Amino acid sequence: MTTRGAEGALASVVASDPADGEWVRLLSTPGPGHVEALQRLHELLLRAARQQVSRMQPALSAIGRVRQDDIVNQAADEAMVSLLGKLSTFEGRSRFSTWAYKFGILQAAVEVNRNLWRHRDIPLDAVVEPLSTGASPEQYAEATDFSRAVGMAIEQALTDHQRRVALALLVDDVPIDVLAERLGTSRNALYKTLHDARTRLRAHLTATGFLPAALTPELTR
Amino acid sequence: MTNRRLRLTPEMADKLTLDAEPWLSCDDCFHLVDQYVESLLSGKDDSPAMRAHLRGCSACHDEAASLLVLAAADLGTDPAEALQRLTR
Repeated sequence: MTTRGAEGALASVVASDPADGEWVRLLSTPGPGHVEALQRLHELLLRAARQQVSRMQPALSAIGRVRQDDIVNQAADEAMVSLLGKLSTFEGRSRFSTWAYKFGILQAAVEVNRNLWRHRDIPLDAVVEPLSTGASPEQYAEATDFSRAVGMAIEQALTDHQRRVALALLVDDVPIDVLAERLGTSRNALYKTLHDARTRLRAHLTATGFLPAALTPELTR
Repeated sequence: MTNRRLRLTPEMADKLTLDAEPWLSCDDCFHLVDQYVESLLSGKDDSPAMRAHLRGCSACHDEAASLLVLAAADLGTDPAEALQRLTR
């Protein structure tokens, strides 16, 4: 189906979507309306995947249109499986369509980044060399001091794992799901590592006078 | 073997030292994000933990922005103001 055709079909489907409370019953119970509900859900997920791929478009110039369509379809299919496995967790706190979209968006983002980084190495051996830029000599000096202090805090306050993860995510801009896949872990676990690293850096910078004490959360470990 | 030397800009230093408290995990963010974007679209922003997480996790933030645009379209609402609240 072409993109325009799919959007047209979706518009007519959305108009006749089940009520939020009906979705779960129709999707989980074979019988009248079950197949149609599955089809409508897949169209919602295609829409979500297409929106996310479109949002990531500037990074996608190296990937052709056909491959992008493949990514959208693959993401919608995988999101469908994931969503149906979690159908019982829909609590009606939002519209069903909003709840469903997030599965398609997540899967599309993961697929796009996986494609973009498929043939790229992720070196985890970096050390920090501070560099600063500022508009005025005063700002330049301040930025230099703070950047240098952060660089020293990275070397002194973080574990090797925290340093590698923080630099890969925030300096080398490696997508978190790509890094998680390479390291055999999860987005959740990497974000926790990053959060702990930030906490340690802030505590170290507070102790050395580069951050005000009142703004620093307590160390969690 | 020599380690690769990274140049740390002031923007990178700010991202590395960002205060993302109170803590919220990516899994919890995924669980709550549909409700959160709908509350943003209705003019409310009553979750400091979601706000902090989306400030600290660029992947979750990017996905929340996509979700907000889709939810706004379904509601027939302009997403611009809510997007601004999401990114501040």
